[in-house]
Amino acid sequence: MTPEQMDKIFAEAANRPVPPTEPPDLVQRVQAAVLKDLRPVRPLPAPWVLTLVFGAVAFLFAGGSALILGLNGLHALGQDQRAAIFTAVALGAWLAALAAVREMRPAGGRRLSSIAFATAAVAFPILFFLLFHGYTSQNLIREGIPCLVAGLCVSIPAAFVTAWVLRAGCVLSWRAAGVAAGTLCGLAGLGMLELHCPNLKAIHVLLWHVTVVLVSAALGFGAGWFADLRGASRPEDLGRFALGD
Amino acid sequence: MAIGSAPEPVPVDALESLMARYQQSDHHAATALIERVSPLLHRYFLFQISNRRYAEDLLQETWMRIHKARHTYRTGEPVLPWIFAIARHTGLDNYRKTRRLESRERQVEVLPEHPAARFAPAEPVTPDMNAILQALPDTQREVVVMLKVLGMTIDEVARATSSSAGSVKQKAHRAYEKLREVLVGAKRK
Repeated sequence: MTPEQMDKIFAEAANRPVPPTEPPDLVQRVQAAVLKDLRPVRPLPAPWVLTLVFGAVAFLFAGGSALILGLNGLHALGQDQRAAIFTAVALGAWLAALAAVREMRPAGGRRLSSIAFATAAVAFPILFFLLFHGYTSQNLIREGIPCLVAGLCVSIPAAFVTAWVLRAGCVLSWRAAGVAAGTLCGLAGLGMLELHCPNLKAIHVLLWHVTVVLVSAALGFGAGWFADLRGASRPEDLGRFALGD
Repeated sequence: MAIGSAPEPVPVDALESLMARYQQSDHHAATALIERVSPLLHRYFLFQISNRRYAEDLLQETWMRIHKARHTYRTGEPVLPWIFAIARHTGLDNYRKTRRLESRERQVEVLPEHPAARFAPAEPVTPDMNAILQALPDTQREVVVMLKVLGMTIDEVARATSSSAGSVKQKAHRAYEKLREVLVGAKRK
């Protein structure tokens, strides 16, 4: 069978008239319901504006909390380390913000949330492996837990703010949006730790600082999964245009 | 336009223009948009699920979601990918919901007299194409329906499915290969 013959079959299917909907006034009922509730709406801001908003949220949470806790980490880092780490955090945050923005509108572009997460999860361990040394620590857990907790204490409140911004749009997959927002807020937590924590041992940074990003993204996915589940089972999704049966 | 008043002639506008005016609460644009897009949505759902009653439910629900999400449409961008992105998620959500309900259902020996219309047996509306397309996995069938039945472009399908144009081409190519096998097999029979 040639492609032309296949195209002919498709064309016939496409041109076949759809049987009238049943009940026949379905379209009119939809129109009536839409017209009854028709008000002008303000379009969502441009994607670059939303990306800036997400970036600003991450920057404010990371910078603000580091200023409150002290910039000991920043002082401990060398010039090259500062440049490499904060450039990487900024790039990762930009990618995650872009991914979150794309989830805010239907057909917003190719899905980037898993790419943003994978990039952060792979790039930062490699970067820290190259920048820092020291793979032994006597107090690995005792020194690490406070960093993990502090990082999450920054990323979780930031996640509530990003979720509030996300709700201004129309998120079709909260799981993808959750991963993107979780990665972004995890990077805010990581940024805060790099500004605040003076412990530059590779094992500490790799194990406890990077974990903030992974845990935040996992929490974002979990919250998104729950939101998708709730959204799909919400009874009003079915009912508003119901045909009175 | 008040409901019940004489309909005014609606100029044939681009869907994008109708959508932009719908955002500004233009009644004629909303009416025209629903009239023009509903048959496409109905056809899309029919090819996805082969059940007219269910397709009508999904059509209504999709319009409800479109109405709620109309502020997220960006003026000047193609409107069909935006609408079909909402439509496919409406279908997915309902599929998940149905699966969940079915998993909670218990087997009974005698069927109730009036089973819910939602779970009525499938009523094929376009038997030939539907039967042929059922041979495809869901994602490939969706791409073929959008491309060949609804006449969307590869870029539009990529936007509607949040994927890349390359991925859409690959799915379409695999689907055509599979369909060719099915159609050749059907001819031999």
